[in-house]
Amino acid sequence: MVQLLQYAKRQANALRSDQTTETTHDARPGTHLQLWFLVLLVVFPIVVAVIVSTKETGVVTSLGDLLPGSYAVENYREALVDYRFGRFMWNSLAMSLVIVVGKLIVSVFAAMAIVYYRIPYKDLVFLFILFTLLLPVPVRFIPLFQLMNDLGWSNTILAITVPYIASATTVFILRQHFLSIPTSIVETAKIDGVGPLRFMLFVLLPMSKGVLVGVSIIMFVYAWNQYLWPLIVIDSEANQVAQVGLQLLQGDVQGGQLSWSLVMAGSTLTLLPPLLLMIVFRKPLLETFSIQQK
Amino acid sequence: MSTREIFDSRIESGLLLLPTLLVSIVFLYYPTALAVRTSFFDSSFGQADEFVGLKNYLTLLTDSGYHSSLLLSVLFAAVVVIGVIAVSLYLTFLIHEVDTGQGLYLISVIWPYALPPAVGALVFLFIAHPTLGVLTGPIEALGVDVDWFNNGPQAFVVVALAAIWKQIGYNVIFMIAAMNNIPDTLTETAALDGVSGVRRLVSVYVPIMTPTLFFLVIINTIYAFFGTFAFVDLLTSGGPSNATNILIFDLYREGFSFFNFGVASTKSVVLFLVVGVLMLVQFRVTDKYSYYGG
Amino acid sequence: MSPHAEKSTEISRRNTLATTGAALAAATGLAGCLGGSSGGSGAQFSPINEELTVWHAMGGTNGETLDQIGSDFEGEFGTGVNMEFQDSYENVLTNTLSAFDSGNVSDMLQVDSLFAQQVLDTDQVRPVEEILPDNFDADIFLDNVAEFFTVDGELASLPFNNSNAIMYINRDAFEEAGLDPDDPPQTLAEVRSASERLVDQGVTQYGITWPNHVWFVETWYGFEGELLTDAENGHAGEPSELRTPDAAYDLYDWWKGMADDGLYTNPGIEAWGEATSLFIEQEAAMVLTSTASVAGLIADSEDFTVGAAPYPSISETRVGPVIGGASFYVPDGLPEERYAEIGQLLEYMAQPEVQTEWHKGSGYYPITQPSVDALREEGWFEENPMYQVALDQLQNGDASDPATKRALLGPARNVQTVIQNKSVDILNADSIDAEIEALKTEVDDVLTEYYN
Repeated sequence: MVQLLQYAKRQANALRSDQTTETTHDARPGTHLQLWFLVLLVVFPIVVAVIVSTKETGVVTSLGDLLPGSYAVENYREALVDYRFGRFMWNSLAMSLVIVVGKLIVSVFAAMAIVYYRIPYKDLVFLFILFTLLLPVPVRFIPLFQLMNDLGWSNTILAITVPYIASATTVFILRQHFLSIPTSIVETAKIDGVGPLRFMLFVLLPMSKGVLVGVSIIMFVYAWNQYLWPLIVIDSEANQVAQVGLQLLQGDVQGGQLSWSLVMAGSTLTLLPPLLLMIVFRKPLLETFSIQQK
Repeated sequence: MSTREIFDSRIESGLLLLPTLLVSIVFLYYPTALAVRTSFFDSSFGQADEFVGLKNYLTLLTDSGYHSSLLLSVLFAAVVVIGVIAVSLYLTFLIHEVDTGQGLYLISVIWPYALPPAVGALVFLFIAHPTLGVLTGPIEALGVDVDWFNNGPQAFVVVALAAIWKQIGYNVIFMIAAMNNIPDTLTETAALDGVSGVRRLVSVYVPIMTPTLFFLVIINTIYAFFGTFAFVDLLTSGGPSNATNILIFDLYREGFSFFNFGVASTKSVVLFLVVGVLMLVQFRVTDKYSYYGG
Repeated sequence: MSPHAEKSTEISRRNTLATTGAALAAATGLAGCLGGSSGGSGAQFSPINEELTVWHAMGGTNGETLDQIGSDFEGEFGTGVNMEFQDSYENVLTNTLSAFDSGNVSDMLQVDSLFAQQVLDTDQVRPVEEILPDNFDADIFLDNVAEFFTVDGELASLPFNNSNAIMYINRDAFEEAGLDPDDPPQTLAEVRSASERLVDQGVTQYGITWPNHVWFVETWYGFEGELLTDAENGHAGEPSELRTPDAAYDLYDWWKGMADDGLYTNPGIEAWGEATSLFIEQEAAMVLTSTASVAGLIADSEDFTVGAAPYPSISETRVGPVIGGASFYVPDGLPEERYAEIGQLLEYMAQPEVQTEWHKGSGYYPITQPSVDALREEGWFEENPMYQVALDQLQNGDASDPATKRALLGPARNVQTVIQNKSVDILNADSIDAEIEALKTEVDDVLTEYYN
């Protein structure tokens, strides 16, 4: 508030002297205003979603309809209990955790090999891994589905976790991070004759805590939001994940059922875990992303 | 980099790389190879694959509708990439400039990243539906006739807006990290020289952030081609008159609604090639203009 | 690292992979699995579970009602039933077709009438008439319902949740505009004049709306007695062309006129929820949608009274509606012992009590004569006159007219998408004739491709 007044004073003076003074580190109300406006635009959809989840049927067609309803408890209860949405969320959690832990271990291994081992054609190996970024699910899921059937993994947790265990992004990020660890430390380790396992456990991991957390968050969000693949490969409700389960909440639209509020309740529920994780771990997250610089 | 290669056991490095490579080969490359193979066949459910050689490719080559879809996708990607980067850059700049509330602003802007794409699309529909949308009234009051179920270009804009909105969070995370790394001294010098506001952003910050920005261009391109499926599916189903029929949606529909796996595989090969070429071009440009110093 | 070297090694690496992949596939015969079936009928399937599995697309409360039916069956007969929600009719179809390829199939599959032919074309389903107990009387089904699901004289699948299209009106809005809600519009022309009244007097913003779904076009054809395709809508051979009789031009002419004059609004492709919302929000005073929507509409329309009216036809001709909704198919080739239990479940679901419970819980109409009689006896239709309108419309239809049998198309989803997308094009074009020609050509191409 004090800053605001100081700024206002300065601006008033500036106007009088016909000059715009722009100081870089003072909070300008103009900036805040713009930020508020833009942030509102970005946040608006979730506000709508949450409000709709508190209504009875959730038909909102004008700004005036955006007053929160009183059905919040009812809707969330219905979603969690009647439709066993809690079950879906649990399945999503199991899947995401397995994927995160699996990917973490596997990618740390791979990144360590690429950075700290002398391997022939190392760059090609790295490229081979990176290349998979261009092979998204829609391109390969028909043969992949066949593969699941042949392996007998259809409708099991294996089908929705193992194919995700290799992660080009994670290997890339970890590699960048490892490359930023000072060579002095690495050389000391070599001189000390430290073996690879101890190197990883006592040198790499402690120095990568922030990045590991950040990368885990990214992987969790990615896994949690998977829709297409679980839709295809899981066909029993007991094993289904939350993203697909949202459809169950929508009801039989062709049969005339309208339940936007229920769907929004479910959507809000599915949004919570990744969002909370991101909020709680935002510092490591930022740290992870800053290594893209190098 | 070679001073880091403190280990050289081929077996160990092989073992470390094994999980990643194995999963990559079995679950990513192999199905893709199969998909490529299918592109030379006429394939569907319940019938034996029929080898048709290059017929599928020729069909696409002579299908003007497909050409339109291709050009449309490239245009869409361009709009989304530029849009996302521009908006995210400006937002990041604003957040960077303020002293208070940075954390709050950051969270508010980043959260769409955690949102499942399908939910994001659904909420966008709630907001922008031509007759039922919450914001439709106010927008029409501004003189714009909201009619994107019938108006192709408008539909394109709506889907692009939705796609941009969803991706802002991811970009801001990277950009804020990069911008925070810019030494304050630089900022102050610029201010003293009278370079202020947006000019400072464009002439001073952007050049320094080029590595991050080019990385984001690549990520956003992949997103625009592969990650925007949900928006097209839920908002426009590719219409009206194929105005939003981007390659990923077209190929999904070909495979999973029409069950023409052969043609769908051909389309995915083409999509993959298109994106691959774009990536290559972007890499070349990146190398030429990146500024890694400082 | 020069980009050139990169690329060439990449390419050669890619080639090696592709060749290895292809070789692998060929060697292990996996490639065949991509599309080839392991033989025709008589192929051995394995069930998913020991308990009976039913794949369905009923979400929301309808899904709950179905679950209840499943557990009631278990209580009475001791055989466990797992009702597995598959997200959408389209997903049931996809999962079913791929299950036939993989060998692990569900015991019962809820297939939308639109996709019936695709399932029949696999030759992997057993007619339910052969599975139902011998003492089961297949005649109990209402004529118009049984007609569609009977193939080669046998009941191929068990009709279950069926409906047809109907019109709902906002009675209060009608009165306000000086229209008689008890004498609703019966033809498109009358719909137009009613809409003009409603809109001109500012009662509602639009006259009418409906989801842009191919079903409505099919219903219009049906009422007009016009076949949608040749070969008796695919029931007497392979369809090869979309028919565009004069009535079709009249239809689109009217449709476009309504859109141009702001009397109709397009809620979106297959936008059932949005169309209903428009009606509930009183933006449109009339809505065309499923007969199954009655309960939902009554519940959601707190501020006004809803009335049901027969579907408006293109002209004075009213032959009959086409059936919508789904039926249960059973795969052929499961272990023989299972069929006795499946037959029990099928019979159970056709019982009057269960049909009644389903009808009351979901809004889909009762499809067996005994259940209709039972409901009538307890006065259900007097208390709920809107359900009567739906049933009357069905039973007044001429079941013997081939035009009222919903089209059996192999590439159903493809044709559906073309018609829906092109309808929007027609609405936006200056001249509908050229666009309707284009629509016909495109559908014809799809049909030819599929059947050759």
